[in-house]
Amino acid sequence: MVSEEILRTHLQELRRGTVVVASLVALRRPDYGYALLQRLAGHGFGVDANTLYPLLRRLEEQGLLTSEWNTEESRPRKFYRTSADGETVLGRLLAELAAVQVSVTGLIEGVDR
Amino acid sequence: MNSMTDRYLAATLRAAPAPRRAEIATELRAAIEDMIEDRTGAGQDPATAERAVLTELGHPERLAARYADRRLQLIGPAYYLVWQRVLRGLLTVVPALVGVVVGVLKATVGDQPGAAIGAGIAAAFQTGVQIAFWVTVSFAVLERTNAAPDLPEWTVDQLPEGPAERDVTLTDACASIALVLLLLAFLPWQHFQSWVADTDGRRVPILDPALWRSWLPVLVVLLVATLALEVAKYRTGRWTWRLVAVNAALDLAFAAAVSWLLLTDRLLNPDLVARVDWLREGGVGTVARTAVVVVAAITVWDLMESVVKARRHRP
Repeated sequence: MVSEEILRTHLQELRRGTVVVASLVALRRPDYGYALLQRLAGHGFGVDANTLYPLLRRLEEQGLLTSEWNTEESRPRKFYRTSADGETVLGRLLAELAAVQVSVTGLIEGVDR
Repeated sequence: MNSMTDRYLAATLRAAPAPRRAEIATELRAAIEDMIEDRTGAGQDPATAERAVLTELGHPERLAARYADRRLQLIGPAYYLVWQRVLRGLLTVVPALVGVVVGVLKATVGDQPGAAIGAGIAAAFQTGVQIAFWVTVSFAVLERTNAAPDLPEWTVDQLPEGPAERDVTLTDACASIALVLLLLAFLPWQHFQSWVADTDGRRVPILDPALWRSWLPVLVVLLVATLALEVAKYRTGRWTWRLVAVNAALDLAFAAAVSWLLLTDRLLNPDLVARVDWLREGGVGTVARTAVVVVAAITVWDLMESVVKARRHRP
């Protein structure tokens, strides 16, 4: 029997890159950090706050997200949105994800045959 | 404003990248307040909610490191192997060398043969600590400046030559050589710095001083020859039958000489025996017999080991 610990590490590894993909998709509609966290959680992407906030900032520095301060609400919030560059990168990432899925399916079917 | 959130923000920002500090502060504060609000909305009391949220965000410096994209490690995988190789290379050679040089200088120029071993060990230890510290600091700085000099890529040409399993490692060779050096150092030490003193406070040598004109030089020659053998063995990388033969000759000669001296009561200084009660009252025989057994055991073990290792490599 494989230990919980080992299983969790593998799942974590598998999930790691998908947070970026999920964020870039979700932020086609502008949102601020915590709201995004909740939306992602709602779609089954359980991300830690201390991972997501720094990640958003890094993606912004890389030019994949743009940001804008919204001061109309009760507290100032930084709204992020996927940039044109972000959209390009997202396209490549989604293609890669699909390719991985195809490869895995092919492998499974190949083994079965 | 809640003081705990303030303290958390202050702790995080202290380690966050300076140019964006104010911005991170505003955003992080809003995020923390959002998270707290969410929990109080679900019926949690504000103090507990705040505590839970800050706990969830974790160690402030870890969070700051994530903002700065800084790795939490002293020496990362890019430099680790080079660091290890440099450190190992320096530590196997330099401290021992410095220790021997300092010890020899102390004994000759300093004219204090008794203090030589202690001084040598202290110098070797200090040198080792200094090497480890400065090498590690250099690599840690390199890791942080990102001023990466292009490290040469590994190529297959760097694979070690010869048999994959090297029987005689550098560590083994160094340990054996150190042991023989200790044995060599013991000879002058016991003469000048023995723990027994006579009535005038002069040290009484452990071994019979008369032996310096007969057998001790022979033992010294045998030990020096053993040193040469260790070096030759390391250079070859494994036991060959010729090395086994030389080793056996040296071992047997040393063991025979020491045993004969012990059993005929010639090794220990009669002056010492006269001064130590239990030696005088028959202890000499016990010491001699025990020592002979130990010498024989070590000799047999060493011979067997050399033969076993040589057979393993029979072509």
